[in-house]
Amino acid sequence: MAADSSRIAIPAFGTKGKLWLGLLATVIVAGLAAWGYQLTTGLVATGMRNVFSWGLYIMMFVLFVGLSAGGLIISSAPKFFHSHRYEGFARLGVLVSLACITVAGLLILPDIGRPERLYQFFTSPDFRSPMVWDFGIVILYGVLNLWYLWLLTRRDLAARGSPLALGVDDTADGRERDRTLMFWTAALALPTAVALHSVTGWIFATQIGRGDWFSPLVAPVFIAKALVSGLGLLLVVSVLADRLTNYEVDREELTSLGKILGVFLALHVVYLLAAERLPHAWANHFEFWAITSGFLIGESVYFWLWTVVGGAVPLVMLMTPSLRKRVSVIFTASLLAVFGTMFEGVRLVFTGYEVANIDLPPGISLGGEYAGITTDIWATAGAYTPTLVEVVVTLGIVAFGALIVTLGLKYVPIQRVDGQYATDGGTKERQ
Amino acid sequence: MTNYGLVIDQERCIGCQACAVSCKQENNVPMGQFWNRVLTEGGDKIDTPSGGYPEDGGSGSLDMQYQPTACQHCENAPCVKVCPVNATYTRDDGIVEIDYDKCIGCRYCMAACPYNARVFNWDEPDHMPEEGTGDVAARPQGVVEKCTFCSHRVDEGLDPACVVNCPADARIFGDLDDEGSTVSKYINEYETDQLLEDRGTNPKTHYISGEMSPGRPQTSDKMESELDDVSPWSDGSEDVPAEASESDSSGSGGSHHSIEGDAAPHVPAVGSGGDD
Repeated sequence: MAADSSRIAIPAFGTKGKLWLGLLATVIVAGLAAWGYQLTTGLVATGMRNVFSWGLYIMMFVLFVGLSAGGLIISSAPKFFHSHRYEGFARLGVLVSLACITVAGLLILPDIGRPERLYQFFTSPDFRSPMVWDFGIVILYGVLNLWYLWLLTRRDLAARGSPLALGVDDTADGRERDRTLMFWTAALALPTAVALHSVTGWIFATQIGRGDWFSPLVAPVFIAKALVSGLGLLLVVSVLADRLTNYEVDREELTSLGKILGVFLALHVVYLLAAERLPHAWANHFEFWAITSGFLIGESVYFWLWTVVGGAVPLVMLMTPSLRKRVSVIFTASLLAVFGTMFEGVRLVFTGYEVANIDLPPGISLGGEYAGITTDIWATAGAYTPTLVEVVVTLGIVAFGALIVTLGLKYVPIQRVDGQYATDGGTKERQ
Repeated sequence: MTNYGLVIDQERCIGCQACAVSCKQENNVPMGQFWNRVLTEGGDKIDTPSGGYPEDGGSGSLDMQYQPTACQHCENAPCVKVCPVNATYTRDDGIVEIDYDKCIGCRYCMAACPYNARVFNWDEPDHMPEEGTGDVAARPQGVVEKCTFCSHRVDEGLDPACVVNCPADARIFGDLDDEGSTVSKYINEYETDQLLEDRGTNPKTHYISGEMSPGRPQTSDKMESELDDVSPWSDGSEDVPAEASESDSSGSGGSHHSIEGDAAPHVPAVGSGGDD
């Protein structure tokens, strides 16, 4: 097979590409330096304290676990049903998923007080702990993404003589075997994705001490959130790749996925949120309008950023027939959906720590000097603002994820050009 | 089986903070951290009542109570269940403790604890004086720590420091599985509550409010199960308050016997100048 039957999105880095790589490298190095600083001073370098003991790292972990959903689901769900829909997004989707789950996993490292003891996860695990379940499923999901990306691309890697083919040849038998393997990988990937988001939700939903965390709805909401933000990110990345690289996005598929994003948004931000809020609003208020406003009006700016900027606005954009076919509209709506979902995780952590169950004076000892709202060592309520160190560490890790995607576009054949249905074997279609 | 628990009589508590301070000293708790806090139920500030003064037409509804709060040593401890690496565990005698060698510092236990009883060493712990205080080794930066019921003292047959140092006899430590122990008797005798009972954590710390208990005069700093001599509460056949008044009244009648009976509850069996 000829090497040009597949397409590399970035054949070589131009000036802009090199600038981009330089920027990513700078942010990564800055992140590493900030993490090094945090390791020497301790987590006192963050905005977290005893009363608010999880912060930006966990909020972004929740976001990136969700973001890792889209690609794998979009590429594996059609495979499982032997459909060729969204074939053009399959490889890019898995690449984006792989980058996001890597970012999510890495975000845990700076949150840990003693990362050098992480081996205890292997030597002394407690299987009652949702964190042990999550540790297992994040690693499984990452490995699955890597395997799937390789499986989808190895015949093209082999045809190009890339060392990434790991010595596998492109043969007719091999393609036939890959079809079977892809089906079974898809069959495994879907329940693994569902488990990943549910287990991450259960980290919070099992806790009786943190307000609204203790809700059976958290796991389904995490799945809906993953569908929204994951698909949103895939659309954002694909449009960007289409504009900036040789990757070509299929307009029809893009419009179709935009519609699906609208459906996911409606399920998530309208239906599930209503299902979550209505019982509380009804039980806590008496008058009709009090119930209604308790139901509709959120308690914090994070709520509005999430539901309006990241929910209602993109939903309207994707529902309006005159708008929803425009690439710019799909791009903006997807970007807003991802942006809004970020604040859902922020809001979740805040609802857990803002109010202390026992808030009697003098309160809870903070465990470190605090430059925020109070100046003494006591607090009766949680307050949190991330420090520059936390922001730089987080950006560094996100930049590493962007680097994975960029290098993927450089070294992995991200699209077939010879046949529409090529990645699932392609022997029959190429007559 | 031994199952240690604590009874705190909120009617006896005078809010002196001696338990909070002796805990900090005994356990070498870093600056800026508290394992044991005496909270004020009432006004917005510590030692401040709610309500109004009974003058100038005020409501005269001043009300205040103290709630000493530390690790509750729950039977169904969420912190134990969430710890991914078994660093937080329940000992055979019911004490919830942390293995600081295993702790990775993920702080999931702090999220799990509804009482905010746990503290994290955000930086290199600071001690005053620098070499530390008490009988417990300092914990490193990056681990979570909390009240251990002074397990190092309990292992030696001594009551926790907060119990021994309570000047109001408001804290009683003992075996909840032993029906004859003072803690068990008090839980049966008085109206007791557990904090945040609705969360289902089933704490082993019980709070008396309403009717005041007679306290438990310290016979020594040993736990009552370790005492060889006969303490006023040892036989367990009668209820506690009645027995207390009985020993008082017998003291007025007898001669030789009465001196012993009177002295026993108040004179420490070991030398004074405690080890805390």
